[in-house]
Amino acid sequence: MDTIKAIIVEDEKPARDLVKNYLESIADLEIIGEFDNGFDGLKAINELRPEVIFLDVQMPKLTGFEMLEVLEHKPEVIFTTAYDQYAIDAFEQNAVDYLLKPFSKERFEEAIAKLRVKLKKQPEHNSIDRIRQHFAESEEKIHRVVIKKAGRIHVISTEKINFLEAQDDYVMVYTNDGKYLKQQTMKYFEKHLDPEQFVRVHRSYIANIGCIQRIEPYEKSNFILILKDGNKVPVSRSGMQLLKENLDF
Amino acid sequence: MIYAVVWFVIAVLQGFMFWFFLEFDAVLVITDALISNLLFAFLGLLAWYPTRYIPFQRHTPVYSTLAHMVAGLLVLGTWVLIIYVLLSSIFSTDEGYIQFLNSTMAWRTILGGLVYLILVLIYYLVSNSQKLQERMQQEERLKNLVRDTELNLLKSQINPHFLFNSLNSISSLTMTSPSEARDMIIRLSDFLRYSLKHRENEYVPLKEELIRMKDYLAIEKIRFGNKLLYEFDIDGSCQEFPVPTMIFQPLFENAIRHSVYESVDPVKVSFKCVSGEGSMKAIISNDYEPDIPTRKGTGLGLQNVRQRIELAYQGKGFIDWDAKDGVFTVTIIIPRIFV
Repeated sequence: MDTIKAIIVEDEKPARDLVKNYLESIADLEIIGEFDNGFDGLKAINELRPEVIFLDVQMPKLTGFEMLEVLEHKPEVIFTTAYDQYAIDAFEQNAVDYLLKPFSKERFEEAIAKLRVKLKKQPEHNSIDRIRQHFAESEEKIHRVVIKKAGRIHVISTEKINFLEAQDDYVMVYTNDGKYLKQQTMKYFEKHLDPEQFVRVHRSYIANIGCIQRIEPYEKSNFILILKDGNKVPVSRSGMQLLKENLDF
Repeated sequence: MIYAVVWFVIAVLQGFMFWFFLEFDAVLVITDALISNLLFAFLGLLAWYPTRYIPFQRHTPVYSTLAHMVAGLLVLGTWVLIIYVLLSSIFSTDEGYIQFLNSTMAWRTILGGLVYLILVLIYYLVSNSQKLQERMQQEERLKNLVRDTELNLLKSQINPHFLFNSLNSISSLTMTSPSEARDMIIRLSDFLRYSLKHRENEYVPLKEELIRMKDYLAIEKIRFGNKLLYEFDIDGSCQEFPVPTMIFQPLFENAIRHSVYESVDPVKVSFKCVSGEGSMKAIISNDYEPDIPTRKGTGLGLQNVRQRIELAYQGKGFIDWDAKDGVFTVTIIIPRIFV
């Protein structure tokens, strides 16, 4: 039987040591890498293509969730987390298993058993896709957006987004530092961005209220937003209604 | 306004009685009534001051009564003197009236004394009901504060993330380094025990608070290794300075959450303490990476500390924070209290 290749992504050394120690007695599982942050983990997972990752949620630079969002190679995931109700909901239904810290060796071996079953089944829906889906359907708000551009990962705080523009299956994210293409739907952003700050002003546009300089009439009954960065964003009739409600005018 | 109307009515009544029963000339009656009553009305206003500044609660009853008697006699004496002089000089030609005035002077004085007494009582009633209202408002405010504080106390208790992650580290250390595991369990226990004191809102010497904060940092250091560096620089004279328990914990937690949790490079947390005149200044600073967008709501811990200081020192304490050049700094000034 082939060995199962695993990667550990976890920012605390003792926590990594624990997983490694528990894995020592499992002969057919080999650790091919361990990383203390989401950035390095992401790169290694795409390159080394492990079958499973042991993933912490709370990590510097890139959280476990954010990492999953931009992974190209999609291994099975066993989450390790201390305390995070939202994350637990997501794993319960979608991950191979999740381990609440601190966890026993027996509990750990249970997770490995589940993993073996999962790997044999070759499911048509990957668990990472399902976790992404789960998030898309939740009401959780996002505070930053993770985007790949020219082989690099950019983590953009939502405060820095000026506006978003629909482009087929993608959304173009405009900031003062440049624009980034993200494979995602407008509906996703409309749902997960803070509604106090972002308004869907048009079928193809979401604007950051803080970046609006003025609103000007445009053609017959339409309006256009002039943003502080100089960009112009069209406003539909229903978009104008939303703006009025949000800005109280 | 009401006061003026009431006095005017009394004046008219008096005038009418004198005119009707004693059959004095109308001009004379009106002058007498107006002068004596309006003057009293004016002097009566003065009675407000003694009631205002001699509240019964603050002085002994004997002192208050004496003070009121002196004030009352002064007002009464002034009144009697002025109306007597005025009325007798205006109507000096009317022998009958002068005689009437002389004979009623004693009665007028007694009547005036009674009216003065009533006025003082009314003033007390008014000022007491005002105070009562003020006190009720204050009580309401206090109740709100207490409730908010309780809420915040709950919020500022030990972060479950910290607790579970620490326990996980201990679990790992039992295999790799049992003695370190034991040490960490002791530190964690000491720290937790200390944090329970927090609810009693006591004051402790700074050195005691710092021992527990060092426990906290040592636990975090086991989790994060060389990524977390810290240093303390404490004025010798600050060691015994009384501070509220766990006042610095949210600040250290904040410093770690926004630096160590979010960084892959080593970060330093520094605590500096200098003593001032009747106060102590503490400065906590930490490195942070300004480019990295923060994940979660910031400032809740800081707001909690601000509120606690406000409550504990009634506006005499001070806290402020500032982020500059990759260093986040919190400055706190704690006044000395005697416990």
